[in-house]
Amino acid sequence: MSQAKGFNPFEMAQKQFDKVADLLGLDPGTRELLRYPMREYAFNIPVRMDDGKVKVFRGFRVQHNDARGPCKGGIRFHPQETVDTVRALAMWMTWKCSVVDIPLGGGKGGVICDPHNLSAREQEGICRGWVRQIAKVVGPISDVPAPDVMTNAQHMLWMLDEFEAIHGGHHPGFITGKPVGLGGSLGRKEATGYGLVFVLREALRELGLKPENTSASVQGFGNVAQFAIELYQRLGGRVICVSCWDQKDQTSYTFKKDAGINLKELLDITDRFGGIDKEKAKGLGYQVLPGEAWLTQDVDILMPSAIENQLTGETAPRISRKVRVVAEGANGPTTPEADEVLRERNVFVLPDFLANAGGVTCSYFEQVQSNMNYFWEKDEVLGKLDVKMTSAFHSVSELARQKKLYMRDAAYVIAINRVAQACKDRGWV
Amino acid sequence: MDASCIPPFERQFFEGREDFTRIGAGAVGGKASGLWLIREKILSRLDLAAHPGFEVNVPRLCVICTDVFEAFLSHNDLWPLIRENPPDEDLARAFLRAELPPGLAGDLRALISKVHTPLAVRSSSLLEDALEHPFAGVYCTKMIPNNQFDIDIRARKLGEAVKLVWASTFFAEARSIMQAARVEWERERMAVILQEIVGEKRSERFYPTISGVGRSFNAYPTGHAVPEDGVVSLALGLGKTIVDGGRCYSYCPAYPRTPLPYKSLGDLMDATQNRFFAVHMGPLSDYDPLKETEYLREHSLDTAESDETLRFLASSYDSDSDRLYPGLFGAGPRVVNFSPVLTTNQVPLNDLIRDLMRLSREALAADVEIEFALNLDPKQGLPARLGFLQVRPMAASTEEVAVDAEELAHPAAVVASPKVLGNGTRHDIQDIIYVKPKSFDPARTVEVATEIGRLNQALLDEKRPYLLIGFGRFGTADPWLGIPTAWGQLSGAAAIVEATLHNMRPELSQGSHFFHNLVGFGVYYLAVEPQSGGRVDFDWLDSQPAAAETAFLRHLRLPRPLELRVDRRRGRGVIRHD
Repeated sequence: MSQAKGFNPFEMAQKQFDKVADLLGLDPGTRELLRYPMREYAFNIPVRMDDGKVKVFRGFRVQHNDARGPCKGGIRFHPQETVDTVRALAMWMTWKCSVVDIPLGGGKGGVICDPHNLSAREQEGICRGWVRQIAKVVGPISDVPAPDVMTNAQHMLWMLDEFEAIHGGHHPGFITGKPVGLGGSLGRKEATGYGLVFVLREALRELGLKPENTSASVQGFGNVAQFAIELYQRLGGRVICVSCWDQKDQTSYTFKKDAGINLKELLDITDRFGGIDKEKAKGLGYQVLPGEAWLTQDVDILMPSAIENQLTGETAPRISRKVRVVAEGANGPTTPEADEVLRERNVFVLPDFLANAGGVTCSYFEQVQSNMNYFWEKDEVLGKLDVKMTSAFHSVSELARQKKLYMRDAAYVIAINRVAQACKDRGWV
Repeated sequence: MDASCIPPFERQFFEGREDFTRIGAGAVGGKASGLWLIREKILSRLDLAAHPGFEVNVPRLCVICTDVFEAFLSHNDLWPLIRENPPDEDLARAFLRAELPPGLAGDLRALISKVHTPLAVRSSSLLEDALEHPFAGVYCTKMIPNNQFDIDIRARKLGEAVKLVWASTFFAEARSIMQAARVEWERERMAVILQEIVGEKRSERFYPTISGVGRSFNAYPTGHAVPEDGVVSLALGLGKTIVDGGRCYSYCPAYPRTPLPYKSLGDLMDATQNRFFAVHMGPLSDYDPLKETEYLREHSLDTAESDETLRFLASSYDSDSDRLYPGLFGAGPRVVNFSPVLTTNQVPLNDLIRDLMRLSREALAADVEIEFALNLDPKQGLPARLGFLQVRPMAASTEEVAVDAEELAHPAAVVASPKVLGNGTRHDIQDIIYVKPKSFDPARTVEVATEIGRLNQALLDEKRPYLLIGFGRFGTADPWLGIPTAWGQLSGAAAIVEATLHNMRPELSQGSHFFHNLVGFGVYYLAVEPQSGGRVDFDWLDSQPAAAETAFLRHLRLPRPLELRVDRRRGRGVIRHD
């Protein structure tokens, strides 16, 4: 489950954009504007470490486009973070907010660091330092960060606290992903996984398949995958395998049980990063296979829900002919080359920025609730999420049907068109 | 029935093509099966051309199937609490706190975003279907105005109503009734029907002009009528008036013009409907999601007259001539006798009801009970819309039983009645609970009901059927007219005897849930009016040793079973101790 060498996510994002810009016939000015981020910030974050020495970390914030509303996007703590990854993710955030029609733009941030090797105090220093460097250009009405890779609710609270110390007063709408009770929203932890299954449910309905007659293979066993599996199983579906990263062995494994995995028993042997204990899994009757085995299974549905660049021109031909749907829980798991393979095989693709938009949609709900300091019941949050996701799916699939477009292209057409129109309406282009 | 024949809900509801859909893939329960039968087997055969001016249909609805209910219970881990048998209110609160299944929350929001008309959230239980037991009025039905501007509020109210109906599956009364029916209550599953309410908004009220219950078999025919002529009960406003046993107008559809056998106009005016129920569409003073009637309000006939809904329902009393005239004239008192509809036939409703009862009877191959609601044009009467709300079979024994008149005077008769309901014999009743005539106080009937409930539960636990003897009407909503028991408080009774006391009318309201439960559960009913030759031998009862005694009741456990015989054809019943 590693990223291919030389892979540049931003180039891939631009390639996808260019294709749709051609389809839409966008004028050169709009094309130029949307092809690159509106603003990029890169800065140093000096932190006094536990050993008394000062270490300088490199931080980023990229604001791709805010024509439709304040930028929205996570903050990643990752040792291999690059500005191009952040750029690509910021652009995808713009399209993601647009395709589910929430009034937000796209942004992304990151810090080059490895939290595995940092104490809590050092991580707090990075969080507070990140906010000090960027406090003037982020906030509830300009750019709203959220947790992402290796950041969590605790990081968000440190950042919020620093932001409020700088600006004075309370601004819970500055950041999302906060704990429930401290400005967080109920339903947030389920949102991305559930959102994925809401659109999957609609796709199956459109294909005339009953969930109880389908099986699935899932890559990843983190938050998204876990809740997606839970809801998919509640609909009657059978997940026969999951694949996840083993921190100790520094490789990934696929855990398979033909009769269907038992989510609860696997969760009981899973660490906080989503790694399954392989010895205990064997004891429970699971086959432990190589990491990539998840994508060659004879199932109806593939749910790549881990990291980007997993279905490639090389791996996609190995997908079983039985697969009818690919539901992308991860960001950017499929390369354009793999898309060609899926399109040829008439596989119904639920593109990432639609399929995993449940998270940002619920973040938007959290921000709305935080701004008015009034919080909803979980039924209300998940009900609204379902309606939003289902409605977004139908807009995309209807366009795909009408214009005979590939689902990813149809989703991009809707998303990019909305953003381009907002830029035009504002008189930017 | 197989739920798959019902099209799935497509998040369009009122805009969608389908007017009868389902959410989920489990069972749809008894009531929804009945509604599907109405649509497919009854209304499809109705010749609407014979009833010009009427639109007849099943009001638009969506059923939440039992698998969604099961998902709700398991997802929220509610079974342990249910098995603790908590008080109804605690159970309802726990259900309201629990989360809706994610897909359902979305479906309800989608539905509510399109629907702004009041909705009835109705129970449709699985066992009701499987056992052909009615459980009438046992589970909650909640009507919601659904007129708030904010979709979030409407969705929340709808969700609360669905959860309340689900919770009512395990309320004490429901469990007690299932116990009486020898059914394991844990097997019960609940589907929920979301259905538009037939009616119209008048000021802050929403209600149909007329609600009705029709039964193809009448246990108490009067005049020339025979039991097979059936009986229809009509009321102004929501049907709650009828099913709760309130004042309504009952007549024989074969003789709609025959006035009811009241001794005088004064009696008729005393007995006429003078209040009606409507869904409250205005601001609420209390928020009480646990209350089934949270949005229902009672109003007077004056309100109906100002709403212009009385025109075809009432007659007016003229004191100069001491007569009633159909319609609204002068300032005299109004009597809701449906005269303009039934006598002068300005709205030929009776012909339509007879057709519907006939077709229902044919479709079910049994005597039936139907429920309907009707909205009339306020000026002309027609066009009118009739919403067909329910059909269910009336269980009736066909055993040949003969009870001669002389038997009523037999010295061994503990109870003799010339007015009965039910048909058949029993030889397994050894327990009697009776209200002690000497300590009975009409002002303390609520306490009597509580005592009956306690003894009933004890006998249910022992699985012993019993004979219950009391004064006035059981199950009455008015404690001054009898003993206001809920059905669950006497659900173990094999036979019920209502004796007359001064100022207490023992007549049953034939459209009431209580009445229907009597029929549905095969409980024998014997009315005892001394002037008609009936009697209860209280001297004999008092001479027997008591197994238990409370302030108002005695419980006897006899060494040998009683002999109970009820003859429906002759309308007589006798219970003997030898």
